[in-house]
Amino acid sequence: MKRITALMAKDLAELRHSPGIFIPGVLTGLATIVYPFMIAIVIPYFAGERLSDSSDFEIAAEMYRLQPSARALSMEGAIQAFLFQHALIFMVGLTTVTGSMSVAAHSVIGEKQARTLEPLLATPLRTSELLAAKVVGAAVPGLLLMALCFGIYLIAVAVFAEPGVWLSLLNLRTLSLVFVTGPLAALLGLQLAVYASSRVNDPRSAQQIGAIMIVVPIAALQIAQFVGGIVLTSSIIVAVAAALAIANAILLRIGIAVFDREAILTRWK
Amino acid sequence: MAGVLKASHLTRRFGERIAVDDVSFDLAPGEIFALLGPNGAGKTTTLRMLAGLIEPSSGSVVLNGETVTPDTSPRLRGQIGFLTEAPGLWDRLTTRQNLTVYARLHGLADPGRAVDAALDLFDIRDRAGDPAAQLSKGLKQRVALARTLLHEPRIVLLDEPTAGLDPESARDTRALILRLRDERRAIVLSTHNLDEVERVADRVAVLRSKLVALDTPARLRARLFGARVRVAVAGAANSYEQVLHAAGVRDVRFDGNTMSIALDATDGQTPGLVRALVQAGADIVSVTPEEQPLEDVYLRLLEESPA
Repeated sequence: MKRITALMAKDLAELRHSPGIFIPGVLTGLATIVYPFMIAIVIPYFAGERLSDSSDFEIAAEMYRLQPSARALSMEGAIQAFLFQHALIFMVGLTTVTGSMSVAAHSVIGEKQARTLEPLLATPLRTSELLAAKVVGAAVPGLLLMALCFGIYLIAVAVFAEPGVWLSLLNLRTLSLVFVTGPLAALLGLQLAVYASSRVNDPRSAQQIGAIMIVVPIAALQIAQFVGGIVLTSSIIVAVAAALAIANAILLRIGIAVFDREAILTRWK
Repeated sequence: MAGVLKASHLTRRFGERIAVDDVSFDLAPGEIFALLGPNGAGKTTTLRMLAGLIEPSSGSVVLNGETVTPDTSPRLRGQIGFLTEAPGLWDRLTTRQNLTVYARLHGLADPGRAVDAALDLFDIRDRAGDPAAQLSKGLKQRVALARTLLHEPRIVLLDEPTAGLDPESARDTRALILRLRDERRAIVLSTHNLDEVERVADRVAVLRSKLVALDTPARLRARLFGARVRVAVAGAANSYEQVLHAAGVRDVRFDGNTMSIALDATDGQTPGLVRALVQAGADIVSVTPEEQPLEDVYLRLLEESPA
């Protein structure tokens, strides 16, 4: 564990010197904060219509009000809460990944290109420790950014949305999505990027591979939610979290197996 | 003397290509063992196998009585200090941060103290707060050496430690290597710098995938060129030709007041020859061993062992 934290601390210390790397993550975070407000508050305000005036959201509002924390909400508040909760998946997935993907993609190949990998591998550091440090170290900035965005989001909902909406968001479903399922999904994508980083000769390839593995499922999930194909209930989120935890563990083992330190040392140029 | 490192029949193939072919040697504490060879001769591959970074295709490496395997190598790497060909410092981190990461990776009890000691030992404390990117090549190499020795390994592998350094930095590095020998550490030195080998190495292995030769520089010279001694006398040297023949010398060259005498062995014969000359009335001005440059030895060995 000490070796993992040592390497993570090193990676984070290096990142402090490259704040520009987080600009895409910050912009994504801002976009994921702003866009549900556009739908739930800004557009209805300028259109002079309330969301509850449209029958399009009736089913969504009724489903949302089945949740204990949302029963007291007005129809308008329930629709807003529905939109704000479902938009969270973008924030959780995209902010974390865009905040961390380039870090993960550079993690191994960046060391190789800087010729710092061989001295690192010459220490007692095990492959599992190297990979764990690289994945978690890459995830930390993205997760912190996502948590910050979530805090701003809640405050903004409290200020601009109907009374009680922000409190209704603080349920098991949201919290498990933000603090368990989301990070686990992000770890999965970042693991893929780190392993890709240990297998390819170009960090851009690793970035593309990692991004596509996380962005596509998140986009599909979001679309499915809105068209009613999937309703992310608490039990589904817990089941997904469990599946993601298992997938992460399996992927770590695969990552260790496919990490070919000999090829990295002898064939990469 | 018990060896701390033993390489037995080390072979490493990369596909069809054999990078290292059946190389064996051992290393004692306090010994500097130089690996010489042209580019692509397998020096770095050999070092990587010794360091447990890559596995041999066949053969074995034993460190302090324990065979290096995938299971043991992480632990055994802690007993080795490996200076890689490039300094490999994280440019954005300071000298102190670079060293601290390695102190923690090696699990040192007090990383801060170990780093302070290394900064003092390598005289780089005044640059401790500078990012590695701002250091000169010589300073970077010094920091890399400090990193290599941070955990006080008993076995030190150095891959071209003075390559690209200015003469002063190279001299300091050689002094450090000699100091490590005085501390009874076993050192494997891979280099192209024959002068460096001449100055520090106890034994030399010439590699060209296979082990072409392995011996002390003096014995290699004697084997290839024979041992010779140059004697300067007052007056004409060739007047002592009969004396030398009577003393058993078969090969002697004269040049004015000096004579170059071929010896049968690398040592032991010279005092008898000097005594015979003195008894014959020679006024001896100087007696110096005649040494063929190591470069000649190296090139001759490679000529005799074509790729």
